[in-house]
Amino acid sequence: MRTRKRARIALVALLTALVALVVAGCGSSGDDDDGGGGSGDGPVEITFWHGQNQTAEKALKSLVARFNESHPDIVVKAETGALSDSLYQKTTAALAGGKYPDIVYQFGPNVASLARSPKALDLTEAVRDPSWRWDEFYPAAQEATMVDGKVRAVPALIDSMAVVYNRRLFREAGVAEPRAGWTWDDYRATARQLTDSGKGQFGTGWPGVGDEDTVWRLWPMVWQLGGDVTAEDNTKAGFSGEPGLRAFTTINEMAVTDRSVYIDKTAGSEKMIGIFNSNRMAMIPTGPWQLPETIEAGIDYGVVPLPSFSDRPTTISGPDTWMLFDNGEARARAVTEFAKWLTLPEQDAEWDVGAGSLPLRTTTAAQPVWRRHSAEVEGLDVFVAALEDARVRPTIVAYPRLSEATGTGIVEVLLGSADPQAALDKAVEGADEALAGD
Amino acid sequence: MSTVFAQGPRTTARREGGAPPPRRRGLVERIFGETPSAWLYIAPAVVIIVGLAIVPVFWSLLLSFQDKDPIAETTSWAGLDNYRELLDDDAFRGAVEHTLVYTGLFVPLSILGGLGLALLLNKRVRFIGIYRTLAFVPVIVSATVQGVLFSVIFDDQIGIANGLLDKLGLGPQPFFSDGRQALLLLVLAGLWAGTSCISFCAVIFLAALQDIPRELTEAASIDGARSWGTFKAVTAPALLPVTVFLLLWQTVQGIQLFDLVYGSTAGGPGDSTVVVVYFIYRSIRESAYGIGAAASYLVVGGLVVVALLAWGGRKLAARRAGAGAGAAA
Repeated sequence: MRTRKRARIALVALLTALVALVVAGCGSSGDDDDGGGGSGDGPVEITFWHGQNQTAEKALKSLVARFNESHPDIVVKAETGALSDSLYQKTTAALAGGKYPDIVYQFGPNVASLARSPKALDLTEAVRDPSWRWDEFYPAAQEATMVDGKVRAVPALIDSMAVVYNRRLFREAGVAEPRAGWTWDDYRATARQLTDSGKGQFGTGWPGVGDEDTVWRLWPMVWQLGGDVTAEDNTKAGFSGEPGLRAFTTINEMAVTDRSVYIDKTAGSEKMIGIFNSNRMAMIPTGPWQLPETIEAGIDYGVVPLPSFSDRPTTISGPDTWMLFDNGEARARAVTEFAKWLTLPEQDAEWDVGAGSLPLRTTTAAQPVWRRHSAEVEGLDVFVAALEDARVRPTIVAYPRLSEATGTGIVEVLLGSADPQAALDKAVEGADEALAGD
Repeated sequence: MSTVFAQGPRTTARREGGAPPPRRRGLVERIFGETPSAWLYIAPAVVIIVGLAIVPVFWSLLLSFQDKDPIAETTSWAGLDNYRELLDDDAFRGAVEHTLVYTGLFVPLSILGGLGLALLLNKRVRFIGIYRTLAFVPVIVSATVQGVLFSVIFDDQIGIANGLLDKLGLGPQPFFSDGRQALLLLVLAGLWAGTSCISFCAVIFLAALQDIPRELTEAASIDGARSWGTFKAVTAPALLPVTVFLLLWQTVQGIQLFDLVYGSTAGGPGDSTVVVVYFIYRSIRESAYGIGAAASYLVVGGLVVVALLAWGGRKLAARRAGAGAGAAA
């Protein structure tokens, strides 16, 4: 009886150990399974997490199909992965798990953080090859891919912020449409005039979750006032003092004093866009990627550059990127080839139209596909022109944490739970901490 | 099962007289027992449970003592640093506070509400079957959906709730844009629907109520007890074990609150509705694996304390009952 019991215990222990081994094995097998590691025969298979849906996904799928047809030695497996908002988390988990895709869509602010991974490809050498035509990328797009002087990503999408407004609501209220060269005071007054709480109509909107969508709208204001995201070589917050205070105060006055701002408390700001697209919001600061939805909703809209605090009409461009990961030499070569092909002008034009991006390359703008699109879509030219006055966020590892601290402050002034000075002080303190911890 | 099979041959051997024969058992039998195939049957379950439940438990314990950066792929031993950092972290302490407030409101309200509803559903009235079915419907609503729904209804700017208040001539409420109200709304949402809502408690209570023999209540009323007296002397004691179970269950559910928060406030505004499990989720999402694992273990510690309290309470009650009634099983 005793021995049998002991034998059973031994067996259970054995089973446990076996399972542990299996699980551990699953967890860390990186490049030894599927997809032709490098042994020559058969096409190399690479996995692509594009993070897109709707028209952007459709455009990508047709491009991938064309690539697979024209490159018999490479098979690109296109998957959504996760929608772009949560691709960073998913990519991190995938890297930790050891089984990760070869190419992933990433928001610009995450590039520096992901570039710390030893699996993230360094493309500095590769893009020197003239076939990349790297110099054709717009400077803002190039900047978003550079971390510590190295190329760690490929431009994927470029936008700029401008104000899309609802012509019908302006007409109905008898308010003159906004024009380039307007100021934030004009913006505030217009928003107040076009707010009608009885009809559930808002002058404008601002995301109130406190994430990056809340934060990036602040930077143009700060830049226009002579401040910056960071100062002193990325060691301190650059928006303390007058620039930050005036920006925070403006937001506070519009949201709390005037009640002309719809504050979207859901992640992704879908509600805010939904309200605009149902004729219940007069003006929305946004990127060109919103236009396809607005057109589909049948909104009579116009586009005007961001208002300004001074004579500087500075706006922001938030470029996104493709990040490439190392799954062995053959796959790395294949994925680099694919990324290059995807961003060449002919493909770029098609993708830009589908994704609502502006052209990544100067040469893309000359493509017939883009020209036709640009002529068709009302207001697109305003976004393209705004690129000239656009700046980008710094690509530093500490940015997401800086953004979090700043976002908390913006939400406080939006909801009126702190006065602008107090909220700004806390945001600056958090940003300083984030930058010091780097 | 194995003991049943094992008894067969042994008794026959004895009946044939003499000592049991020194039957030589094969290697397989010696290791796997007399029913080796049974192991085969349970192997898949063992693999799944060990692999998906037991290994991660120890793995995350290990993680909680490490400072792991999954992106840069660096791991260093942190000892108790993660725990220390958590206890010093205002955000974590806030999360604990929100969880306690939520649980403190949610548990008694859900149990009292459930009891009331169960008593109503235990009445003999026409169409009671339909009422009972309808009362169960909220249990099957997904908490995430529920969260989204509440965030739409109680949106302070476009929600129906404020529209209604306006129609009634009352001033608008901040609802989800005010931290305190947001937490209260989450309690309300938790009571309203989901796997541990009032209806769930009512179903459990109803089952217990229906187990009470009618003779007992009838006897009590013949003895002159009014309805309150019957409730106190007959119904309440019969419901005690179920109530203890519900207390424990609802407390665990309260501490583990996540999906409602995820679906509605995402922890906002500010950090005012971040509860501990949401805090863990956020830590892991931000790749702070060590902190997240340490926080999980602190929550487990809290749950163990709750379980011990419940167990101790029952022991105490049993002993008291035993002392009062003489011999109890």
